[in-house]
Amino acid sequence: MVAGVAAFVAWLGASIIVLGDGRRALALGVVFATAGMAVIAWQNAGTAAGVAIAAGGAIAAARRAVSGPDGWRIMPPGSTPRLVLCIASGLVVLWIAAAVTTGPGASLRFTVMLVAGLMGARVLAGEDPPVLLTATSVLALAVALPAAMGDGSVGPWPYVAAAVIAGTIGWLPLRTASAA
Amino acid sequence: MQPDSAVLIGLAAAALAFAVIFTPLATSRRALLFKGGTGLAGSAAIAAVPSFDLSLLILLALGVLHASIEGPRAFAVRLRAPVVAVATMAIALVFAHAQGSDAVQRFAAVGLVAGLAAAVGLLPYMHPLEPDEPMTSSPIPWIAFVGPVLAAVVVFRAQQLLGQDAGGVFGGLLIGLGLLNIAWGSVSAWLTESEVAAWRYSFVADWGLVLCGFGVTLADGGRAALLVLFSIIVGRLPLYIASRQALRDRSVAQRPINYLVAGALAGSAPFVGFVARILLLRAATQLYWPLALALALGMLLWLPGSLRLGRSLAVPRGRQAIGVSLVLALNVAAGLYPLPILLAARL
Repeated sequence: MVAGVAAFVAWLGASIIVLGDGRRALALGVVFATAGMAVIAWQNAGTAAGVAIAAGGAIAAARRAVSGPDGWRIMPPGSTPRLVLCIASGLVVLWIAAAVTTGPGASLRFTVMLVAGLMGARVLAGEDPPVLLTATSVLALAVALPAAMGDGSVGPWPYVAAAVIAGTIGWLPLRTASAA
Repeated sequence: MQPDSAVLIGLAAAALAFAVIFTPLATSRRALLFKGGTGLAGSAAIAAVPSFDLSLLILLALGVLHASIEGPRAFAVRLRAPVVAVATMAIALVFAHAQGSDAVQRFAAVGLVAGLAAAVGLLPYMHPLEPDEPMTSSPIPWIAFVGPVLAAVVVFRAQQLLGQDAGGVFGGLLIGLGLLNIAWGSVSAWLTESEVAAWRYSFVADWGLVLCGFGVTLADGGRAALLVLFSIIVGRLPLYIASRQALRDRSVAQRPINYLVAGALAGSAPFVGFVARILLLRAATQLYWPLALALALGMLLWLPGSLRLGRSLAVPRGRQAIGVSLVLALNVAAGLYPLPILLAARL
């Protein structure tokens, strides 16, 4: 039950990142997505993994809350395809995670596939560096989650690495394109 | 770390040293060393970490760092390929670990191949190219510097993750994509208008051979793939670096050195590309002879493009001439006696 709710919260957060362009929306999306993924990491890989994901996401969200385009800018004009993407991908991935694939960890499978897919789509369709960096931070956190599906021999290191990457990406100094 | 990855990292270090020593004076050597060193360290980390998730995370970090280098292409354009690659391979990782029908693991194979193509910059996901872009921020480091190590790691992990059925699908996809890249890359290197684009397409064509070599799951296939990667890192990449000044000046020449370079790029004897092609044809013949026929026909397409690229080097002088001679000598040595390379990679 808890894992199912966490997966839903992660989907909600990823959807807000896809639908929002302002820094408040992006930060809120990171908070939701991180909360969902941290619970799933904690359930599947232990406390250290959950704490690492939560810390990385919190730093990324805090950074995004203070830099980037002002306001919320949720669903600006022309956002219908994004909304359709969020809903349709959620349904398709739910079917794959719960019916096409079997065994324990359906919430984990759902979260990784959905968050990675939505963040990949956000980067493909986006142009604004703060939006792209936010999506990349959340993608980093999602990439660490499949470590729980392996034999667990690497310990919490994938989660720690993901947290470091997610937490630091937002501080990257970016320059505009130049014909150097 | 896998022995073949270690060999490729050593070759990448040699290519970086070449770039720093023989790059035209106008280029900042310190910046090249710093950016190239970061890429080399990232490549080594991709190969050295104990799990595939960590490799993907390092790839993502490397992609963000590369995209943030100042250049004419927008940050968004440069970030797309590595992010798509990592997202695709992360989803593939879930499919590889999940239980279910055989189709689930086949999806994992598709994801791994698609992710590899996106990361390296091969069809169907070629990175956009700006002809006047500095080399460090261009797609060339992905296709000729980081890509070889990444490919070795992905193939190694796929062998660990995928079962026999999905492994066959993985190999088949690599061969199919390889043939597509051979045809597209070699024809485009011949016919495209821009010389810089022609060089990039020639890398793509070489990568087609690499994919076919990895896809043919016989020992000779792996050996062929490693030797083609050798020719990319120690042959094509340094020759491309040496030709950058001539490309800027739009000067061409048809001296004997240009034909020698064309021969090296086309994979003719006694250069290392020739041995790689022979090994690949032998492996393909053992697997399925029509594949060897298709590969042999594809290999003929290298010649016109290579002649064009050889001419685009103009007449190397001074430091550049020493560099080109060194590259040709290394490629001849590896072509005549490739055993030490194969032994170092335990192939």
